[in-house]
Amino acid sequence: MNDDRRFTAEAHTYLDGAQTGPVSEADRSDADRLRSAVEAYSARIAAPGRSLTDAVMERVERRGKSKQPVWRWVFEPQPIRLRPIWAPMMAALLLVLWLAVGNRGPEGTPPLVMAGADTVFVQFRLVAPEASAVSLVGSFSDWQSDQYTMGREDGGVWSLTLPLAIGEHQYQFVVDGQRWVPDPTAHAQVDDGFGGTNSVIVVGPRGVVRS
Amino acid sequence: MNTIRHLSLATLLVTLATPGWSQQADVRGTLEARGLPAQLVADVTAVAAEATAQGLPTDPLVDKAIEGWAKQVPAPRILVVVRQFRLHLFDARQAVVGDGGGEPLGMVVSAAAEAMGRGITAEQVGTVVRAAHRPESSAPGLRVAAALTAQGLSSDQAVAVVIEAMQRGQTDAQLLDLPSVARAMHARGLGPAQIGQQMMGGGAQGIGRGLGARPPDVPPGLGPPPGKGKQNPSKRP
Repeated sequence: MNDDRRFTAEAHTYLDGAQTGPVSEADRSDADRLRSAVEAYSARIAAPGRSLTDAVMERVERRGKSKQPVWRWVFEPQPIRLRPIWAPMMAALLLVLWLAVGNRGPEGTPPLVMAGADTVFVQFRLVAPEASAVSLVGSFSDWQSDQYTMGREDGGVWSLTLPLAIGEHQYQFVVDGQRWVPDPTAHAQVDDGFGGTNSVIVVGPRGVVRS
Repeated sequence: MNTIRHLSLATLLVTLATPGWSQQADVRGTLEARGLPAQLVADVTAVAAEATAQGLPTDPLVDKAIEGWAKQVPAPRILVVVRQFRLHLFDARQAVVGDGGGEPLGMVVSAAAEAMGRGITAEQVGTVVRAAHRPESSAPGLRVAAALTAQGLSSDQAVAVVIEAMQRGQTDAQLLDLPSVARAMHARGLGPAQIGQQMMGGGAQGIGRGLGARPPDVPPGLGPPPGKGKQNPSKRP
């Protein structure tokens, strides 16, 4: 059918299925061809008895039921949705884990810890050349003798630096796991009530000065 | 019958929610966690209950018991010391409250007890408490006064230094720098009386307003982590 051809009123009536009058052979031929094409297209886009939704859901279910080995899912690229805020949070978590677990120094050096806003790094030192082990025990460690083991340096000096909260702390050194000795360089020495002497340091925001 | 059951349940819940009961449970739990023997736990918990009833803090009592046990002190001796410390806390509370006042903070009572054990009188405790801008500020003030006294300053001078620093507007944290400043002055050869005078002067050698005038040989405390960067230059024997 040419584009510039126009159907007569009779041809339109014929296409509508209500033929009432004579239609030319050419119009009838074009109209029949057009009708058969429309019917074929309609049949293709709308399968009888199934909506488009039904068809889509059927395919989804079929895909879901298909059995794929797990290893195949593992090795195939998968889309991952990630909020950007998770990146620094994961980095911080990894840093904390590394500091807590993976950063142990030699000879029982305690793990590296980070000082908070209200804590200050304080270095403790004791000259005890004859000692084979020295630990730091105090109110900051609930007086547990196995929490802070000091490291030996040249000249029989035992040293440990740890973050302490700003405020007053009482402590002693434990030499060879038995002998409790005060720190002669502390701010003060006080009676511990048990017949011994506790050393006292007052940690200010800018640190501790001892003699 | 149901009413009685409901009343019993309510009574139990109220009992559990009572601060004293939960505090005793905390005391007991803390001591048990540190491995103290059952009898000592029971005895110290009883002392702590008495302290609670008198409005005294229990933490210092628990800490003292734990300290004694860690030092392998016999249990009867630990109990004696804990009971004595409760009496010190009672006296300290009286000193803090003075002629009248509200319920004192536990941290202040504890600091007052430590200070009175090092030579600060009850009157001086009251002076520091009244000079503090906030109730909680008197705790570091008392601890610093006690430390300065232990460093050789007279208690009058130590209290005067603390009060002047408070009046200069020093923060609680800045007050805690005073013992280190005194130590640095001592290392330069100054005697306790001179240290007190210079600190009270608030001049170049003492603590100034706001940031404070730290002497040049006083190192900053915010140092690097262990084994990193420069070390604390303080000389130790």
